[in-house]
Amino acid sequence: MIAWFRSSLIARTVFATVLLSALALVTLGGFLSFTLANGFYQSRLATVLDETERAVLNVQNTVAAASLTDETSLQTLVNSVVPSLEITTGSGARQVALLRSPGQPSLQLLQSPISADLDLSAIPDELRETVRSSGDVLSYTPISLIKDGRQVPGISVGAPINIPQAGLFELYLVFDLQAEQETLEFVQGVLIVAGVAMIVAISLVSYLVTSRIVRPMENAAGAAQKLAEGKLSERLEERGTDVIALLAKSFNQMATSLQNQIQQLDQLSRMQRRFVSDVSHELRTPMTTIKLAGEVIFENRENLDPALKRSAELLQNQISRFEKLLADLLEISRYDAGAVVADIDLHDLNSVVGMAIASIEPLAKSKKVEIRVELPNKAVEAEFDSNRIERLLRNLLSNAVEHAEGKPVLVQVGQNRNAVAVCVTDQGVGMSKQHLERIFDRFWRADPARQRSVGGTGLGLSIAKEDASLHRGWLQVWSRPNKGSSFRLTLPKRTDSVIANSPLPLPPKQVEGE
Amino acid sequence: MAQKILVVDDDDALREMVGLVLASSGYHPVYAADGFTATEMFREINPDLVLLDIMLPGQDGIEVCKQIRSIAGTPIIMLTAKGETEDVVKGLEAGADDYIVKPHQGAELLARVKARLRPFGSEATTVAIGDLQLDPRTFEVKRGNSQLSLTPLEFKLLHTLATKPQQVFTREMLLDQVWGYQYKVDTRLVNVHVQRLRSKIEDDAENPKYVMTVRGHGYRAGSDFS
Repeated sequence: MIAWFRSSLIARTVFATVLLSALALVTLGGFLSFTLANGFYQSRLATVLDETERAVLNVQNTVAAASLTDETSLQTLVNSVVPSLEITTGSGARQVALLRSPGQPSLQLLQSPISADLDLSAIPDELRETVRSSGDVLSYTPISLIKDGRQVPGISVGAPINIPQAGLFELYLVFDLQAEQETLEFVQGVLIVAGVAMIVAISLVSYLVTSRIVRPMENAAGAAQKLAEGKLSERLEERGTDVIALLAKSFNQMATSLQNQIQQLDQLSRMQRRFVSDVSHELRTPMTTIKLAGEVIFENRENLDPALKRSAELLQNQISRFEKLLADLLEISRYDAGAVVADIDLHDLNSVVGMAIASIEPLAKSKKVEIRVELPNKAVEAEFDSNRIERLLRNLLSNAVEHAEGKPVLVQVGQNRNAVAVCVTDQGVGMSKQHLERIFDRFWRADPARQRSVGGTGLGLSIAKEDASLHRGWLQVWSRPNKGSSFRLTLPKRTDSVIANSPLPLPPKQVEGE
Repeated sequence: MAQKILVVDDDDALREMVGLVLASSGYHPVYAADGFTATEMFREINPDLVLLDIMLPGQDGIEVCKQIRSIAGTPIIMLTAKGETEDVVKGLEAGADDYIVKPHQGAELLARVKARLRPFGSEATTVAIGDLQLDPRTFEVKRGNSQLSLTPLEFKLLHTLATKPQQVFTREMLLDQVWGYQYKVDTRLVNVHVQRLRSKIEDDAENPKYVMTVRGHGYRAGSDFS
């Protein structure tokens, strides 16, 4: 659920919109409700004060106008005037109370007339004190009343009244605000319903609007992903002229040009592979005939006169040189065309090294170079193409023997948890740093004047480097002028793994110490 | 009488040159310049061995190889100018016993030919592996009364494994003992022929019982035939 929410742009946008709108609506509703409540209260308060003023004046005037002779008539007057101020029904309902201020000489007869159902707690002591100390001004306080079992807001207003012969009294009128409260509640109800409807509407609208924008983006994202996966024919629907349509159009243009480029490259690579294959066939067939014919002549050279004999020898040598060059050229072209497939299997590196050394032994003997070998006692197993690795090692070995200047060549094999390595080290001429940088370049020779007796083609190390990277391995070199050179090949034990570090040091410790 | 070798190559010069090399060693070369002629010639003269170029006009070498295999187990050595993995494998899967990559030496060619024409040692005896009976005098493999048709090479491969059922043969050992190679290491040669052999003798080639793979080492004869 959370993951879905995180991944769905629409869900998040709609959620944020609804949340923010709800916040705004609640704020607005609260403000409206507060303003209305205040407005209702203030307007009712003005009426209430007005009515009270008239009532007080009425009582005052009535009492003043009457010619009162005794307490009984005063009581009668008060008893008739005060209750007449009471209104029991309708929205202007009010209750009344005439209370004697405390600290007055008490009169036996004068009773305080109070509305029948008035709860005296509606006239708090604080109000009474304010009334007593206020002179002629009206004082009021908001209160809450219990009416029909419900709590409703109300206002108590009071004014002091001086009754001759009887002393100081306080006249209170208690108004309830039930009508205003009901109106306010109705308005609040309407506001809530409207707010909820509004939120539903907003969420719907924001969903529709977001979808209209996000859907095409999602489509574009999906198409881009498919394109990245290699489905080059993936396109977007172009509709209208808006920015979405522009996106789709640009995407499609990009995809088309990408598709064209890849097709072109593909075709080029196919053509090159085809070319390599054709050249291979076309050159190799006459080459084979020449070679076989040359051999026949060479084998019978003893029967020829000296000039013809020497020619047969030269022919034979140059045929094999030409053949090597041809083979190397074809091999490097195969790499260039990406047409090389390794024949990977599990092999013991020790035995491959052994075979490579065995094949280079005759050359080493003729050059009087000793080959020292340091192999681990147990098998060094790894997945590789034994033909290619043996060829690579033969190449390193013949180079080492060639440049060893008669000093021994050291071959080491090592392994660690996820890699195996072979290091071929000579103590011969070595190379300068500038030479070292170009060592793997095609047809590059450290010393152009130097004639190689093995007839290297100048492609050996380039192919070796390609062979190493075909195995996701490393071919590294260390060299110092007049100290010697060291070539280290590191291969992963499993073709799908990555080498972290090589099991053998470069340069080898023996050399480093010198 | 000299052994007849059918040389199939569309290149006139090479065909003639190969013929010269073969003739100098006492073989009797017969020539065909294209695929159709090759199959006709094969039926007509029934050679002891076929040297077959892969790239041929009309019917290519792979096709010729399949046709010859459908009628005979005669040794076939492919000559390939490409040396590309897929062509070699295709040729071997079509039934070729061995292959030589051009340009090759005359000596190499003769060694390959000789190895394929070398008769079984007279000391070879009848052996059994599971319910299979192998008779080296007739190159016959029998399961009960029904006879399985193996090429001489496939027979030799199975016979070599069956003779020493306890031994694990590395691919190099098999190349030496079955193909007669001394130094060359080409695991494809062994792998493809083991697959072909399995498809002929195993009930389920994916789950072999007669020729078992020993990963990282090679093959051995099966011992569990329950």
